[in-house]
Amino acid sequence: MNQVQFAAFLTGGVRLALPVLFAAVGELVSERAGVLNLSLEGMMLSGAFGASVATAASGSALLGVCAGMFVALLFAAGQALLTVSAGANQLVVGIAANALALGVTSFAARHLLHDGAGDRLAGFDQLQIPLLHRLPFVGEALFGQASLAYIGLLLVALTLFALQRTGWGLAVTAVGEDAQAADRAGTPVRLVRTLAILWTGAMAGFGGAFIALADVHAFTQNMTAGRGYLAIVAVIAGGWIGRRVLVACVVFGAATALQFQAEALGIHVPVALLVISPYLLALLAVAGLVGRQRPPRNLTLPFTR
Amino acid sequence: MIAGSSIISKAVDGLKPLKIPLLATLAAFGIGLVLIVAAGAPLKDALGALQDGMYGTPYALGASLNAAALLALVGGGFVVAARCGLTNVGGEGQINVGALAATAIGLHGAAHLPTPLPVVVPLIAAIIAGAVWGAIAGALKAWRGTNEVISTLLMNFVAIGLVSVAVHEQSLLRQPATSAQTLPNSPPLPEVTHLALLPLGSGSPGTIGIVIAALVLVAVAVLVRRSAFGLKLSSVALGKQAAARAGISPGSMEIAALALAGGAAGLAGGILMLSTPFILRDGFSSGYGFQGLVVGLLARGSAAGVVLAALLFGFLDTGGISLEVGVGVPSTVILIVEAVIVITIAGSAGLKFGRSKVRRATS
Repeated sequence: MNQVQFAAFLTGGVRLALPVLFAAVGELVSERAGVLNLSLEGMMLSGAFGASVATAASGSALLGVCAGMFVALLFAAGQALLTVSAGANQLVVGIAANALALGVTSFAARHLLHDGAGDRLAGFDQLQIPLLHRLPFVGEALFGQASLAYIGLLLVALTLFALQRTGWGLAVTAVGEDAQAADRAGTPVRLVRTLAILWTGAMAGFGGAFIALADVHAFTQNMTAGRGYLAIVAVIAGGWIGRRVLVACVVFGAATALQFQAEALGIHVPVALLVISPYLLALLAVAGLVGRQRPPRNLTLPFTR
Repeated sequence: MIAGSSIISKAVDGLKPLKIPLLATLAAFGIGLVLIVAAGAPLKDALGALQDGMYGTPYALGASLNAAALLALVGGGFVVAARCGLTNVGGEGQINVGALAATAIGLHGAAHLPTPLPVVVPLIAAIIAGAVWGAIAGALKAWRGTNEVISTLLMNFVAIGLVSVAVHEQSLLRQPATSAQTLPNSPPLPEVTHLALLPLGSGSPGTIGIVIAALVLVAVAVLVRRSAFGLKLSSVALGKQAAARAGISPGSMEIAALALAGGAAGLAGGILMLSTPFILRDGFSSGYGFQGLVVGLLARGSAAGVVLAALLFGFLDTGGISLEVGVGVPSTVILIVEAVIVITIAGSAGLKFGRSKVRRATS
């Protein structure tokens, strides 16, 4: 492997990791508050769809991102209403919501994006940060991504800061560990969980919009193709800790990039083994075989007073 | 007189749990009709095509029942695990390892055995593989306290990946590449391993798997409601310490519960492989595992509920295909209708029972 190939591999890995990272950091907030959104996949897909339709209609990619986040936010509001306010089972709502998102976006794309309107979308071009992008090996990967990536990374940093260093983050963790105790201490459990799910929706929608506008530049049926599930796995593999989730996303992105480039790089492993590795890593981590990690105590439990 | 009216009132009481599912289904069908009109198909033609596709022809009836049988097996297994307070999200993975085992045995060895072993042995292999896959999650739960929702979810993706490795590698299960056969599939299973067809009319693909599923569901009903083992399972769900004091090992019960759930889903994978098209490939299970999980959750612990929900989804899934082929309405309409049914039922169930339900014992 020479330097050019390696740099291309890194750049591809980071580009694939970014949308998963945006969604995963959003999901981290929900899970720390005790809500497992299997619907993350649907949130990303509806975000990608909203962004594509708005961009195709207006020609403005920035407006598209806002629309994508808004659509995913509406979607998340539905999830919050059902699982937090009505106390419905989080898993069943999540799975059904993914089917709903796939059905609605596929159906609506035939009407709103017909005649190839969703095939070539205006999007975000690569932004090469002066000097830094010329660094050997990592320059292009870290400082030559689409401009939207840097907005997303800012959102990631803000979210992790809020989660770890503010009272709001403390409330989220308290609600996820023991909702009853948090309730007795006066924390508005339902409100905290609802806001957490809404933030997850916004971040997942941003991730979906990133895939549609900064990577593929088009909308296709089921275009997120399991990346929402991968983001959930990244949260688990990262042991529900912000910086480890970030590392997990980068590793997953690299594994995905390696699939596409293994042949060119002269590495001979079955591609599917690379696909399994993130899930296997997460399983080992959560089983305590690689470091002891524990999910929030009240994860998937509806709150009842 | 009095006895008669009490029978009637009992029957009415028995139907009460069906009120919300029925209303949800009606509402979802209303949305489906609107979408069909929006797609620009004449309503009469579309409904005719849907009806034909669900049960109008022997082919449709057989295909619908086949799908329902797979969903009922996964859902039935889910109910057994739920009895022990465990949520088995791993149906999809258990189907995948079950099918993988059935294919491996069916291609290598089973074909030369005397009848009926070429059919029975792959199915048993599928059950064992699924049970082991489930038991791993059970053991992690019992010994390491790993949340089974998370471990079974992750093991789905591992199993799907294992199938993918097997069908992409020629040293494993991939068919030998020739000029006509280049896709990453397994070769088709030999004819002696194929499941017998039921006499549902000419051209019906309905297999004996439907009968097997019905028998398993009867066993699930007995096990959950009428057996000492079912009682032991639920004692663990209600309180581990109390169960342990009564001489029941909570860990063994958890492992057994997830092994049974995995075995049922693994059997579904085996049945799927020994039915048309008899080929293992990426995505062969088309999401039966996740849909079966939904079937199990909607059934709220009842085997009869599993059968009803499985039939509903089995018929809808198959009808959707004919909707697309027949009148050009995208089958995603059916996806939307099913999702609306599930979300409505789950939402109202949460509202009704969520407030007073016993909190699940946490480890």
